[in-house]
Amino acid sequence: MIIEPVFKFSFFLFKKRSMEHKKLESTIFPEVQIQNCIIYTSSLSLEVSSMRKAFLIVLVVSLVTLSFSVTLNMIQVFTSPERTKILETIIKKFEEKHPGVKINLISPPYETAYQKIYTMVSTRQPLDIVEVGDWSLSALASMGGLENLEKYIEKWEGKDYLIPGILEAARTYKNTAYLLPNAVYVKTLFYRTDVLEKYGIKEPPRTVFEMYGMARYLTRPEINQYGYTFRGKGFPTAFIDLIVTSFFDDIDPNNMYLTKDGKIIWEDPRAKLGLELYVRLYKDTAPKDSINWGFDEQVNAFASGITPLLYQDPDTLGLLKNSLAPEKFATAPLPVGPSGKAYPTFGFAGWGIVSYSKHKDLAWKFIEFFNSPEINAYWCKEYGALPVDKRVYEMDPYFSSEKFYGWKYMFDHPETYQFTAYPLWNERWSEWNQFQQDTMQKVLLGKMTVDEVLKKWAEFWREAGIK
Amino acid sequence: MKSTPHHAAWFFFLMVLPVILIVSFLVVYPTIKGVVMSFQNYTVFTFWRVRFVGLKNYVEIFTDSDFPSVLLNTLIWIAGSVTLQLILGFILALLLWRPFKGRGIYAGFVFYPWALSGFAIGLVWSWLLNGTFGIVNDVLKKLHLIKENIHFLSDPNYAMLSVILINIWYGIPFFAIMILAALQSIPKEVMESAMIDGAGPVRRLFSIVIPYIKPTLLSSVLLRIIWVMNFPDIIYGTTRGGPAGSTNILPVYMINIVFYETNFSKASAVGVIIIAILLVYTLFYLKLTSYGEMEF
Repeated sequence: MIIEPVFKFSFFLFKKRSMEHKKLESTIFPEVQIQNCIIYTSSLSLEVSSMRKAFLIVLVVSLVTLSFSVTLNMIQVFTSPERTKILETIIKKFEEKHPGVKINLISPPYETAYQKIYTMVSTRQPLDIVEVGDWSLSALASMGGLENLEKYIEKWEGKDYLIPGILEAARTYKNTAYLLPNAVYVKTLFYRTDVLEKYGIKEPPRTVFEMYGMARYLTRPEINQYGYTFRGKGFPTAFIDLIVTSFFDDIDPNNMYLTKDGKIIWEDPRAKLGLELYVRLYKDTAPKDSINWGFDEQVNAFASGITPLLYQDPDTLGLLKNSLAPEKFATAPLPVGPSGKAYPTFGFAGWGIVSYSKHKDLAWKFIEFFNSPEINAYWCKEYGALPVDKRVYEMDPYFSSEKFYGWKYMFDHPETYQFTAYPLWNERWSEWNQFQQDTMQKVLLGKMTVDEVLKKWAEFWREAGIK
Repeated sequence: MKSTPHHAAWFFFLMVLPVILIVSFLVVYPTIKGVVMSFQNYTVFTFWRVRFVGLKNYVEIFTDSDFPSVLLNTLIWIAGSVTLQLILGFILALLLWRPFKGRGIYAGFVFYPWALSGFAIGLVWSWLLNGTFGIVNDVLKKLHLIKENIHFLSDPNYAMLSVILINIWYGIPFFAIMILAALQSIPKEVMESAMIDGAGPVRRLFSIVIPYIKPTLLSSVLLRIIWVMNFPDIIYGTTRGGPAGSTNILPVYMINIVFYETNFSKASAVGVIIIAILLVYTLFYLKLTSYGEMEF
């Protein structure tokens, strides 16, 4: 894009100058005109030589120009057409502010994104900025693929406005920040106000048993009406664990799969009660097909009203914006278990810089720009996430609107909603997701019992070295 | 100057050298690398400390409690898909053999699925067969053929059958194209003299048509079995091997090892097992069908 006008301009200058030169010659020396005709062929070769010179000049100019333009390669994880559009808008704004800088956004499909990133980083493929989620942080950092961002964060004025706990969360791996989170993801209960009202229900469920009862009451397969939005595939880990751990009152705040006294939760009798309720939710209140549902199917079923109770992250708000009228749904805190507690996790995502990037400072400039209050507000509002900058909550009334009631209530009641963390640092974490999904499906289909699966899960974590 | 046999040999070698290099780069090297990797601990986390681990990956695969069902699923997937693709493709080719008005357009529609991407087909069918929102259930209900939705892809009793049916829909055109081309090579005189001699359609089919196109049939079946065994696209686009492993076939099993365990060595070991199975099958098939002694 830069080369083309430069080339055209140089060629124009060259042409103009040679024409003026010839005109001057013929005016002063008439015989030159004849001579010109005679030596026409040789002048052609001269012109070619001049053109070659001009071309060389253009080439040098272009190379010099190019040497000042930089392309940053950036890869996202949670790809969707809507998300890509929002990211492209932000990139455009950044490019306008920084002439000569181009950002090449790579958008692999979500379900293969982690794999692609791991491969690209391990094999040192051209990459500068990488999306790092809580689920991929340890893997990428342990393979030496991420730059330590502490030196940048220290000098960054925005660090004083970050919401409490977010930097600590970013320092999960070796107490070092390898990413700057730009959004927080916490699951809450989404419910369809219109569907619940239609069946005479005014309040969302407060406990998991209330939720089961309500979902069962709503379930009428003959009219394709069900209660609970089940998740059967595509990382159902959080959905299983939120129900199971709500039966506990002593989950380790640093490890969801351990109790405070260091026992693996899957060996505890309370896990059996929780998992039995989870199985009942599938068998009694969800479409049988939901064993095959991932995120898209869940949101689709919720938006169409088939399943009016949904556990999901705030990015669902972004998707519902286009498919459901705002007055038809609301959020509520996660239903608590018999312990009177629930154990949500604090999910986060942000951008990191790959350790072998040649443009680390420029990459940081982009990350800094992305985390500026205006861009953070735009990103979280459009995509649907909880902002990490405190100023955004004051700046934009959207984030204190009633749509955020579920999250607000949970953050305001830390004695009930005790945030914990997944053992994401464990190398077998991604294997666990697939293993838990497959074995859970076997239980749901009656090919394995709850006792058998709990035994297998406990064995898995013992072998993986959770303690 | 008279060229010696020695020179001629060098000349031929030089002529085929580019092909040897390309094939070596694209086929031989990856195969050898894959075999070597299957004996290593090549994972995303160990790229810089790769070492040989002997038969560890093979032992893990053969002792995996899911592996026998993966093998059985692969067998069902191949047998179900190829048998019905062959029969229906044959029937289709016979129907298209005789000229009729609009045959070209009709053939174009029939062959269309073959031009599509397997993964895209999987995604489209996964929504068509969706047990809650799927159009197929809706149509069956409106036709009063079913009362409750069928969970085609989420009920283990239907999941394998459903993916096989999708694969049949996709693969019929291959057999139809191959068989139709072979049918068109049968001399008209042979068919006409058989008719004059009083041979009926069934007799003509078994005594003339099938023997005539036998080499095409055998080579098509051989190729198709290899392709179907190495064809995870449709399953990956619909069920990813689920629910509960009911559609998990060898290549899907291999992909899941790469995606979820990020263990390239273990996945390579599955790849080597697939190659070994196909090698044994091909040799056995060629021997059984006396393919080498056949006249083309």
